[in-house]
Amino acid sequence: MSATLVANLRSTAGRTPDQVALVQGERVVTYGTLWDMARRFAGGLRASGLAAGDRLALGLENSAEYVAAYYGTLLAGGIVVPLNVAAKTRDFEFWLRHCAASWVVCSAENRELLAAAASTRVVTTAGVAPGGIAFADVAGEFEEATAPDAHAPACILYTSGTTGSPKGVLLSQHNIASNTDAIVTYLGLTAADSIVCVLPFYYSYGNSVLHTHVKVGATIVLDDNLVYPHKVVANIARSRATGFAGVPSTFSLLLGRVTLGDFDLSSLRYLTQAGGAMSVATTQKLREALPQAQLFVMYGQTEASARLTYLPPADLDRKLGSVGVALPGIELETRLESGERCAALQTGTVWVRGPNVMRGYWNNPEASATALQGGWLNTGDVGHLDADGFLFLAGRRSDMIKTGAHRVHPKDIEEVIEELAEVAEVAVVGVNDEMLGQAIKAFVVPKSAGGVDVMRVKAHCRQRLANYKIPKYVDLVGSLPKTASGKVRRHELVERHSE
Amino acid sequence: MSPKSEIKQFILGNYLFTNDESALADDDSLLKKGIVDSTGMLELIMHIEEKYGIKVAEDEMVPANLDSVVNVTAFIERKLAK
Repeated sequence: MSATLVANLRSTAGRTPDQVALVQGERVVTYGTLWDMARRFAGGLRASGLAAGDRLALGLENSAEYVAAYYGTLLAGGIVVPLNVAAKTRDFEFWLRHCAASWVVCSAENRELLAAAASTRVVTTAGVAPGGIAFADVAGEFEEATAPDAHAPACILYTSGTTGSPKGVLLSQHNIASNTDAIVTYLGLTAADSIVCVLPFYYSYGNSVLHTHVKVGATIVLDDNLVYPHKVVANIARSRATGFAGVPSTFSLLLGRVTLGDFDLSSLRYLTQAGGAMSVATTQKLREALPQAQLFVMYGQTEASARLTYLPPADLDRKLGSVGVALPGIELETRLESGERCAALQTGTVWVRGPNVMRGYWNNPEASATALQGGWLNTGDVGHLDADGFLFLAGRRSDMIKTGAHRVHPKDIEEVIEELAEVAEVAVVGVNDEMLGQAIKAFVVPKSAGGVDVMRVKAHCRQRLANYKIPKYVDLVGSLPKTASGKVRRHELVERHSE
Repeated sequence: MSPKSEIKQFILGNYLFTNDESALADDDSLLKKGIVDSTGMLELIMHIEEKYGIKVAEDEMVPANLDSVVNVTAFIERKLAK
């Protein structure tokens, strides 16, 4: 029988009920309590009529309630849809409509999400929204009649999509649980481990941190965010954490703003880095600053539950710049446009196959048919394999911008800026940024000689988009460079920025 | 311009993209109101360091010093008085 996420939590809670699962400030939650919370929530959902396959949108920050709602929804047979809490009403409306969510769980303070949740049942933490239900009141006895189908739809994670419109990556418990097992194995995770987690659970990277720790019964210390980076480092030292996971900008921030040598970080056994290529210089600085910690460079996609490859720390020097080898159970190959398999060192598109690969995109058969062919997933990433089977990435085919921990499609921002009457045209690109990897830049063509007020463009973006999508730079230009067929030459705009 | 007015103008112009002073109360939490993220905070610290010629030490990067116009102003004034 295939493993499921709920079986993992049940097993851990049964084995070590008093083991600490989550620490958030002064709050400590054991696995026994977490399992009780999840069962209670599942019982409440069932009693309120949640049917198998109903979608529950989960818009909470990292917390015990997030974990209880996530696992509780799966226990009750629902599909959980984690949402980026920093999004604005415009995004929430799309997601809720697209997955036809019948439940929304969020903070009573998240007005942007509540504004989009008018036609769903609303469950809130931090108070009760008008017409809503308090989180604590979604409670009931839970009787598990039959074991859940590991291959049934379990989770939808929305991504920016490679062509603009968001796509809901549909994963089964088997997809995520198999990936969880592979990650646990290569990281050597055990119940003795603990991690300070700054990654949001609603992204696949944070999602995998959650499930891997639940699987082995390790402890997750939740930290708000990186606004005060030295507090995060102090937390690692204080909690004697054995692990820390970040994206390149996380490590740049810690190295740039905190004297790591001032803290006792001797407990750190390993670091993981995913979410885009980290510069060789940052990698080296990180290893010098924390020589006792093994650094795992990793690569993956939401469409593959989380992880596809990892670079064994012992190979880091030998294969610097590589994202490593395929995880056990995952096949990976590079293909030419013709579909022919590439030779070693020949650049092509990365295709993968394995138990972690999604079932498809929710309610989007065309995009699913493009991404999934003959049991293989087209990652859209471009790279080559060396003679030893190590993957080196060379970029993406799409125009996706990677800024900090976020992926943003230019079209999302362009659509919002084009809403302004004084804008004739706009093109958005990612430009190099020391801290974020890429920063967002908008090239705006005014409709008339009256021009466009840059401040107004940014203010409009702030109103309509999550803060991380607001362009750092807005340039007014007379026209946009285009191909003969009228397509914007984004490359040229990127080059123009660096001149 | 007093440090308080200057800091408020900086936050309004760079994070809220407005000149409307009513958009930000002096004691609004910059973090809880979603006004700054980690890079926004770095920019604010760099601005304080450059504008007022002071060095913000690591252990001074705490909400009590940086999380509102009132807190930032008091912090700058304390540092300048030293």
